[in-house]
Amino acid sequence: MRVLLAILWKDLVTEWRSRDRVIAMLVFSLLVVIVYHFALPAGTGSEVLVHTPGLLWVVFVFAALIGLNRAFAMELENDALSGLALVPVDRGWVFAGKAVSTALLLSIVQALAAAAFALVFDVDLSSRALALAGVFALGTLGIAPVGTLLAAMAVRTRFREVLLPILLLPALFPVLAGAVEGTAEVLRDGSPAFASVQLLLVVDGIYWIICFIGFDYVLDE
Amino acid sequence: MNGLGPVASKVRTASGALLGLLLIAYAWTVANAPVDSVQGVIQKILYVHPPLAYGAYLGFVITAICGALYLWKDDERWDRLAIAGAEVGVIFCTLMIVTGPIWAKGTWGKWWSWDPRLTVTLLLWFVYLAYLLLRSFGDGGARTARFAAVYGLVGVALIPLNYFVIEIFGGRGMHPENLERGSLGDGMGLPFLVGNLTLFVAFCWFVLLRWELENLRAASLLRAADPLARAREEIAT
Repeated sequence: MRVLLAILWKDLVTEWRSRDRVIAMLVFSLLVVIVYHFALPAGTGSEVLVHTPGLLWVVFVFAALIGLNRAFAMELENDALSGLALVPVDRGWVFAGKAVSTALLLSIVQALAAAAFALVFDVDLSSRALALAGVFALGTLGIAPVGTLLAAMAVRTRFREVLLPILLLPALFPVLAGAVEGTAEVLRDGSPAFASVQLLLVVDGIYWIICFIGFDYVLDE
Repeated sequence: MNGLGPVASKVRTASGALLGLLLIAYAWTVANAPVDSVQGVIQKILYVHPPLAYGAYLGFVITAICGALYLWKDDERWDRLAIAGAEVGVIFCTLMIVTGPIWAKGTWGKWWSWDPRLTVTLLLWFVYLAYLLLRSFGDGGARTARFAAVYGLVGVALIPLNYFVIEIFGGRGMHPENLERGSLGDGMGLPFLVGNLTLFVAFCWFVLLRWELENLRAASLLRAADPLARAREEIAT
C-alpha cells in the first residue's frame, strides 16, 4: 500500500512539474470535439443529446490512449522501469500506483473535455454533473487497470504506439458498453439504472484483480 | 528429428490419416444431404459454419490454458502450443466469419446483424488478432511469451464478460438457442455429425503440426546458438 502511494505521488509530482501528459491529452480531446463539429450535421440540442454519450466516450478513450502511451514511455528513460521492478514488494502495488495515477489524470481531462463539449454543442451537462461524474469515474476505473497492464506490455515492443490501441480497444468493450449506456441513462432519466452500474462494478472488479496479478509477469526486468 | 513427444506424434499421424478418410465421407454425405425446403441449397453451410465455431473457441481456450500453464510451470513447450492454438483458432474463426454472412444474406436477408453471438465472436477474433500482432511485434523471447500469455488470459476472461453485457442490455439473438435433438430435418443429422467430426480432426491435426513446427524451430535455434552441441551431434551420426 505504501508503494502504491509512493508511485502515485511520484507520478503526480512529475506530471505537475512538466504537465505534458495532461496537456497533450487535453489538446487532443479538444481537437476531437472540434472534428465532431465538422463531422456531424448541424442539429438542435436534442439531436446531439442522443449521440452525446457515445461521442464523449470516444473522446475519453482517445485521451486515455494518449496518456497511457506516455505512462510507461517515461519509465523507460534512465531505465526507471528496472528500478520499479526491483521494489521488494508485490509488483501488483506498483501496478496499482500507476493505474490510480492514470485514472486521476484521465478524470481531469474528462471533466474539461465534457465541459468543452457541452459548451460547443450547447448541451446541458452541468445540471447532472454529479451523476455523470459517478458514471465517468466507474468507466475510468475500468479503463485504467487494463490500459495500464497493456501499456506496460506495448511499450516494450516495436511499434508501441500502434500496438496499444489494437490490444486495448477489444478489451474495453464491456467497460464502454456499460459506460455509454450509463451516461445515456443519466442524460435521459437523471441517474444511471442499476444494470449499468452493476455491470461497471463487476467489470472493474474483475479487471483490477486480473491486472493486479498479471502485472507480476509483465514487469520482469 | 521429431518435434513432438512419442504420444503426440502418433496422434498427429493418426489424425492426418483419419482426416483423409473423413474428408471423403464428409464430401459424400454433404453432397447427398437433402436440400432444405425453405432455405434451399444455402442451408448446407450448416455443415461448415458451426463446426468452425467450435474449432475457433477450442483454439482460444487452448491458448488461454497453455498460457496459464506456461506462466505457472515456466516450460516453453506450453507457450509453443499456445501459439498453435491461437493461429489455428484465428483461421477457424476467420472462416466462420466469412461463411456466416453468406448464410445470413441468404436467410436473414442481410450480410451482417449485431446479433449477440456474432458481436462476441467478432470481438474475440480481434482479441486474438491482437494476440498474434503482440507476438510478432515483440522481441520473440521469454518476455513476449509472458506478455502473450497474460493477454490470452485477459482475452478469455472477456468471453463471459461480453455475454454478461449482452444479457444485461438484451441483445436480440438471431442464432438458434441450441441445436436440440430432432431440430434438424430428416437426413441432416448424419452430415452434420460427420462435418463436426471432420473439422475437429482437422483442427487437432493443424494444431499438432503447428506445435511440431514451433518445437523444431526452437530446437534449431538452440543448435545454431551452440556449435559445440552441433559438432557433437555430427560426430555421433
